[in-house]
This record gives sequence, structure tokens and C-alpha cells, in this order.
Amino acid sequence: MTDLALHSTPGLRAVAREQVRAVGLSLRLPALAGLALLVLATLFVGGEVVRHGARIGFHPERWMLPGVLGALLPLAVWFGEDRFGGAFLWTLPVDRRAHALAKVFGGWVWLMAAIGVFVLWLLAFALLSGGNVLGAETMHMATPATSLEPFDPATLRSVRWGPEPVLWLVPFTAATGTYLLASALMLGPRQPWRWVAGTIAAFFLLTIAMETSTTPWLRGPFSDVFQALVSGPYGLEGLLIAHTEGLRAEADVGPGQSITYWQSLPDPGGWAAATLLWLAAGAAALWAAASRHRERRRP
Amino acid sequence: MSPSIHSQPSPGAFAVATHGLIKRYGRETALGGMDLRVPEGAVYVLVGANGAGKSTTFKILMNLERADAGRAEVLGLDSAEHGPRVRAQIGYVPEHHAQSYRWMTCGRVLQHAAAFYPSWDAGYADHLSRSLGLRLERRMGGLSKGQTRRVQLVLALAHRPPLLLLDEPTDGLDPVVRRRTLTLLAEHLADTPTTVLVSTHHVHELDTLADHVGVLNEGRLVAQMPRDDLQRTVRRYRMEVPEGWVPPPELQPGELRRSRAGRDAQCTLVGEERDVVERLAATGANVRDVLPLQLEDAALAFLPDEVTQ
Repeated sequence: MTDLALHSTPGLRAVAREQVRAVGLSLRLPALAGLALLVLATLFVGGEVVRHGARIGFHPERWMLPGVLGALLPLAVWFGEDRFGGAFLWTLPVDRRAHALAKVFGGWVWLMAAIGVFVLWLLAFALLSGGNVLGAETMHMATPATSLEPFDPATLRSVRWGPEPVLWLVPFTAATGTYLLASALMLGPRQPWRWVAGTIAAFFLLTIAMETSTTPWLRGPFSDVFQALVSGPYGLEGLLIAHTEGLRAEADVGPGQSITYWQSLPDPGGWAAATLLWLAAGAAALWAAASRHRERRRP
Repeated sequence: MSPSIHSQPSPGAFAVATHGLIKRYGRETALGGMDLRVPEGAVYVLVGANGAGKSTTFKILMNLERADAGRAEVLGLDSAEHGPRVRAQIGYVPEHHAQSYRWMTCGRVLQHAAAFYPSWDAGYADHLSRSLGLRLERRMGGLSKGQTRRVQLVLALAHRPPLLLLDEPTDGLDPVVRRRTLTLLAEHLADTPTTVLVSTHHVHELDTLADHVGVLNEGRLVAQMPRDDLQRTVRRYRMEVPEGWVPPPELQPGELRRSRAGRDAQCTLVGEERDVVERLAATGANVRDVLPLQLEDAALAFLPDEVTQ
């Protein structure tokens, strides 16, 4: 046994703090690109408001962008890191799984900051354009048209609906959910792009097979699973936009006239259930992926 | 096959000890039961050809790789059970020059590393950076192989670790910086109680620092001893031998290298000089000269000819 005083390891808080700083530095370039896009969008939307007097309601839950941003950010966070080789990250005196998660946390903090800026940007436009933020809105509701029965304007009814502020959290939870899943994809497989390409290829092949097939056993299950995964009660749409897209439809009500109506009102309960499910799945996938890099203990 | 020579280790603590370490990559055996002993405070030079298992040993000590069998201890800590604590005690210069964080400046990389080592000595890091001519404002992505090596050296030394694992530390450095690096290493050893385990193809560079030597061949430690023992016991014998002379069987295990021209023979042998001379004389050989070897020659004598040529 040695008489030397051993050096201590850093605290997890210090590690997380440093990863937030380091990941922030690595995201400077994507952040600048995002800022440039935001300026362009400001000019465009601002022009619409000034020219046409458009009023923009504050509905951050209807935007798909935060979910997309969450899915793309891990690419930048892990860019240049030799995850399955002798990365500098792994030579540091920190438990390897915890360190991987600390780096993911670092990216998440900046993601939330970016989403915060985006939501504030939407709020600013809503306030400046005189759009609704917290007031009750009139919404048209109707039963949806089907292939058998065309849309009947007589079924339209108006209801007053007060926005649910809890749904303003949707951009944050949507971005978190996709960020967790994409981080798991970056950390788990050695070749994440092969998995992405394989999944997309498999999806297209199955879709083509389904479209061209006359056998119900192929059409039915795939279609059902896909529908459930995307737009089912607990589907991805629930996580990303609280089903606000699927609940809305457009119908012709006269020559050259159309109306947007709702099949049912946005439901915070349904959103919360779908979000919890996807967040749990994302967290589990991330834990499993980070565990591939855990300390090499003896079997 | 070369014999395996291990002198009795000196009593006291070992900074590094491995016990029957085995590591395989598929059908390749990188380490075949390695028992490394690096005494505390030693500068231990690990010699071996490419692929002998030096880098694999370092990775197992850092717990970057898992051994298939056996165990490794660093300063009394089992590296497989206490990976983070073990890495906190180690200053590591890896074999490869891959640049991490290409978008960071050198200064930021040092700042980044400082956050992970509570013992980081910022003043010392500045001193090392200046001495090695590092330009801290440069981005990692723009550094040459040698410049990357300098950053790695500062990263390894600046937290004054009790153990340095240096895998070909002067690889990629120009002669001037190479000399400066070795001077810095000597100064570091004078200021900081440190054990050094260094692998190199250039043993002569470490001639003034090395006090223990291990020779690794195809994953096996074929020799391990203090430098003085190595240079005392590995010698070149020039002799005149009778017609049809063959080395005595009892010397065969110690015989490492032999050349013959006419009745003159030359052997590099392992053993106490007086003992070896007596045995040779008993076989009819007339020993004319016994030559000491340089550290590098003595170490390389344990490797097969095809490796050293």
C-alpha cells in the first residue's frame, strides 16, 4: 500500500458545470446560424404584421420546430468526440457513464435556453401584433368529414376556449423528448448514421410494400402501429405539438371559402400522458446508451 | 525464444502492479499474463516493438480497456474497481495524436482540464506552456502533431499526478522540443514526488532518467529489473573458442545473442560476470573481453533479432 496522499476526483456538480460551459462553446457556431435564421424570420413576420396588420396569437404548443431542434442538437454536442475510441473525455477522472450524462445535460441546458428565446420571440410578436395571449378565443368545432360522409357545415358550432398556460411547456418538453432520444442514438451505436439510414430505408420499403400489397395482414398491422406511434393518443404528435395539428382540419364552406375547425379541444391531460411516456422512453434509452460507456469493471 | 528474466523486486510499495494481466483482441493476444512491478518513485522504461502490448497496458491501467483476466493496481487501487480515482492519480500522454475539441483554443483546453483535477496547478501549467512554446490562443484543430503532443504533456504534468503514464511522449517532437521536454520532465521529477512509467522506442533519450527497465515482447514481459542490475548482468563477451564449440547447456537459458567468425565468438549473455566467465572457461572458451552495454542495447538484447533489426 502506498503512503502517498492520493488526489481527489472532481465533484459531479463541478463536472456538470464545466460540461455546460464546454458544450456552450462548441455550440457557438450553430447558435450563430440559429440567430441569423431568427433575424430573417423576424424580418419576414414583422413585414407581414406591418403590411397586413396580421395578429399573431401566442400558441407555442403548435410549433414543430423545438422538437426538430432537440433531435438535431446532439449532433453538434457530440461532434468530433471519439465516443468509442480513446476520447479525451474518457481519460478524465470521472465515472464514464456519469460523464456522458453530464455532457448530455450540458447540451440540454443550452437547448432549454434556445427554446426559451424562441418562446419569448413568439410572445413578443403576439404582444406587438396585438394577438391573443391569455384571453378566451372562439373556436369552430365540428365532426370530421369521412370518406363516406362529406363535411356538413351545419354541424359547425362555436365555443369559447381559454388557452391553457400549461401547454406553453410543450416546446420545452418536446425538445427534451427528442433530445433524449437523439442523444441515445448518438451515444449508443457505433455508427448512428447507419441506424438512421436503415430505419428510414426500412420505413420506405414497408410503406411501398403496404401500398402495393393487397394482403390485409401486411397492410393492417403496419399501418396501425405507425398510426399509433405518430398520431395515436400516446404518439409522437402528442409529445411534439400536444396533438394540436391532428385535432384541426380544414373544410370548404363555400366557393373559394374554407374554414379551420377543431374535432376536439386541446387536452393537457392527453399531452401530459404522451409526454411522460416519451420522456420515460427517452430517459431509458439514454441510460442504456450511456451504459455502453460505463467503467470497465471485472465481469 | 528469449528467456524471461526478472530480478527480485526491491521491498516497498509499488506504484503500479499487474497480476497475470491477459488481454485479447479476437484471436490476437495483446497481453499474455503480464506481471508488471513499478516501484514507487521509479522511472520505469517499458521497451518493446510496435504491437508488443505497451499501449494496451496503459489503457488497462487507466481503465479505458478491460482485461480479460488478471488485475491491475495503481497506487494500491484496483483500476477496474476505482477507474475515476485511479485516473485522478495519473498524468497520461496517449500514443495517438488525435485532436479532441478541435474548436477549442489550447488555453481553453487547459482550462477545461483544470475543472476535472482539483490538484491542477495553474501557475505550473503556465510555466510548462511557456517552456514548451505553446501558443494558448491557437485552436486545437490547427495544431501539428508535435504541437498536439506539447498540449498533451502540459495536460499530463500540470496537476502534478503521483503517476505519469507516458506513451511515446517524445514522438512527433522536433529535436529541440524533445530535449526541452526531457529537461522539463527531469525538473518535474525533482519538484514533484512522481512515479513514471514510460514507453519508448528511444531508450537512449531516457538514459539519464531511467532507473528501472521492462522489456515487453508479444505481450509478455521478458525482462524486468532495476537499470543497474540490467547493465551489470547483461554484457557482451568476446572469446576465442575451440573448433566445434557450443555454448554450455547451463548458459543456454541466459544466452541472448551470439555471433561467430572463425574461432572468435561474441555472445551477449545474462548473468553475474564472474559466474558467466567461469562457465565459459569450463567449456574451453577463452574470454578475452567483457564489454558493458548501453542501456538501450542491454534492453534490446532481450528482443529477438527480427524485432530489433
